[in-house]
Amino acid sequence: MALPDILPVLVIGLYFLGTGLYVLGSVLRNERVKRTALVLAAIGFVLHGIDLAVQLVGTPHRDVVTSARFLFCLLGFGILLIFIVLWWRLRMRFLAIVALPLALIFYATAKAATGVNASLPPMLSGLFFLLHIGTLFASMALLAMAFGAGLAFLHLEKRIKTKTGLKKFQQDMPSLDTFDKVNHWVVVLGFPLYSLGVVSGFVWAWLASKRVFSFDPKEILSLVVLALFAYLFHQRVASGWRGRKPAVMTIAVFLLTVLSMLGINFLVPTTFHGFKP
Amino acid sequence: MDKNIFLVGLNHRSAGVDVREKFALTSVADFETSLLAACPVREVMALSTCNRVEILVVADSTRCQGMDIKAAVLAHWAETCQGPLDVLRAHTYTHQGLDAVTHLFCVAASLDSMIMGEPQILGQLKNSYRKAVETGTARVVINRLLHKSFSVAKRVRTETAIASSAVSISYAAVELAKKIFGDLAGKTAMLVGAGEMAELAATHLLASGIEKLFICNRTYARAQELAKTMHGEAVFFEDMVERLSGVDIVISSTGSPTAIIRAKDIREVLKKRRNRAMFFIDIAVPRDIDPDVNSLDNVYLYDIDDLKEVVEENLSARKGEAVKARAIVDLETEAFAAWMKSLALQPTITDLLGRAEDVAQRELAKTLKRLGSVDDETRQALEVLVNSVSRKLLHEPICFLKRRTREEGSSDRFIDVTRRIFNLDSDPINPDAHLDRRASDDDEPLDCECCRDDELDRKEQDKQ
Repeated sequence: MALPDILPVLVIGLYFLGTGLYVLGSVLRNERVKRTALVLAAIGFVLHGIDLAVQLVGTPHRDVVTSARFLFCLLGFGILLIFIVLWWRLRMRFLAIVALPLALIFYATAKAATGVNASLPPMLSGLFFLLHIGTLFASMALLAMAFGAGLAFLHLEKRIKTKTGLKKFQQDMPSLDTFDKVNHWVVVLGFPLYSLGVVSGFVWAWLASKRVFSFDPKEILSLVVLALFAYLFHQRVASGWRGRKPAVMTIAVFLLTVLSMLGINFLVPTTFHGFKP
Repeated sequence: MDKNIFLVGLNHRSAGVDVREKFALTSVADFETSLLAACPVREVMALSTCNRVEILVVADSTRCQGMDIKAAVLAHWAETCQGPLDVLRAHTYTHQGLDAVTHLFCVAASLDSMIMGEPQILGQLKNSYRKAVETGTARVVINRLLHKSFSVAKRVRTETAIASSAVSISYAAVELAKKIFGDLAGKTAMLVGAGEMAELAATHLLASGIEKLFICNRTYARAQELAKTMHGEAVFFEDMVERLSGVDIVISSTGSPTAIIRAKDIREVLKKRRNRAMFFIDIAVPRDIDPDVNSLDNVYLYDIDDLKEVVEENLSARKGEAVKARAIVDLETEAFAAWMKSLALQPTITDLLGRAEDVAQRELAKTLKRLGSVDDETRQALEVLVNSVSRKLLHEPICFLKRRTREEGSSDRFIDVTRRIFNLDSDPINPDAHLDRRASDDDEPLDCECCRDDELDRKEQDKQ
């Protein structure tokens, strides 16, 4: 088997093992199992990067960047990249429990979506594509991390508020403040990125077909998400929202972006964003 | 010569505090030596803490035949403390043989403590042992028994979660604060009202890195006084709510009959703080803080009952871990029983000869391999050679041991030394042991040529 054929299998296997072992290690509170899981996932991550490079180099440029496989691959890669940054800056290794399965899911989706392509409007420039996809994917990856941190926050906060007592597993979790910090950074960094992504999309549409808005379902959903995100950003930055409310809202925003990424691109036939074989 | 281990003692369960203080041995300087003089026992060690008194005695069974060791120890104990013997007898327990070993291991591992898993007892046991070693009343059996009990305690602490969760109210409060704020460095706390428990909690908080402590009391002078001892800042009672916007943790314990901190005040405070989290600890009864405060976002309120519940839950978790700890204790007791049996002459000689034969056979096998094919005659000659060398070498030590063990009182010592010289029990060797007793700090390596030779052989074998 050639390298490009065996790579996806290896990456999926490594991510799968990494995820499983990390969950197991968290439940058993075993540091060695967790570390093994992260090492396996790290090998997977390197192979994942090689896979992306192979895809970029191996096929004609135009087809690759618009293929669903490449895009999902990139999203999974971005999530892990953001996780690594958060781990490094905020010591949030706990988020591996969200980042690893998400990377696995998106990578597996990429493998399943081989051969499917997005139909792109004419008049593309590489810069716009990079701007549009890059910023949106980065903000989605950030949201994914905040999603995990938000769920953890809600769970831990409920235990503390209702005085249910903390089990061993919860004693190992980082503090509420740390989870809130993740949310803060995601909102502060994610909102500008997301706005840039959406706006660049509209500019692109205007350049391509002289129509800014064409009632594409994805466009509508993106505007809804943008509005929610803007509200969240405002409340968080200007009125000092903290804790539960931003956590709940971030979770909602992330779920909506996933809906627009998976649901609309695959299921709804649209003019711009749908993936077609 | 058979050994008998006795343990006579009383603890917080068997005796009330009046009995415990009457029969405490903390202020008795030479209890061990006086007991050794009064009873025909071989080794003595006494442990006396506020919650327990334990007297560990090792006696020769032949020498003490027909004697009631327990009664003799109790009589001496009562006499030393000048207390009534019948009261002492009614409140003590006795363990004998392996039961005594198990009990001591449990005590060392803090399974028998009032608050299970609290580690103070180990330090107290170490002190008692040091004293017994210094007065020379601890010998072979107690030495081994105590060293084993320290290692049991260490195993229990590392292999079970018995000492992992907070079991005091103030400590539980600090743990919760850490769960909410993460690092406590840079956080501030306020003490409203003064009370022993509140002060204790504040001390814990300061120890975990709280940056600033405000102290607020109805009488300002009292607040100033406390502020001086705890390096805090006194706050007027009237300013309390206003100052709350700069406080992360509030510990309240006033005698006020009504709530002094109300939810609507805190809502205002939160606005000023831009919703930074707050943690309220209400130790007062009746409560000082309106329970509705807990329903505000980013505010966490624990009253005394909530904290007690946390503590009780942690305690019951410890009880679960105690089952695991008991299994470790039982295993180690068995190992100790095996060692006790080996402390006779015959098993030691058997072990010695066995060890010698092992070495001889190993060396023979190596030599034969190196020589290649040899005829049967040579092989037999070699075999006789190694066996007789090893046996002849051991002849003198064995005769010496036999002579010594006929003497009264020295047999254990020589058998123990022999076992240790030849490492017949295959104990792990700790290179840092007895560091304090080493003559000079020369760092000469302890291994010798023969060991190196052995290691080389092993490496060679690995290669093949």
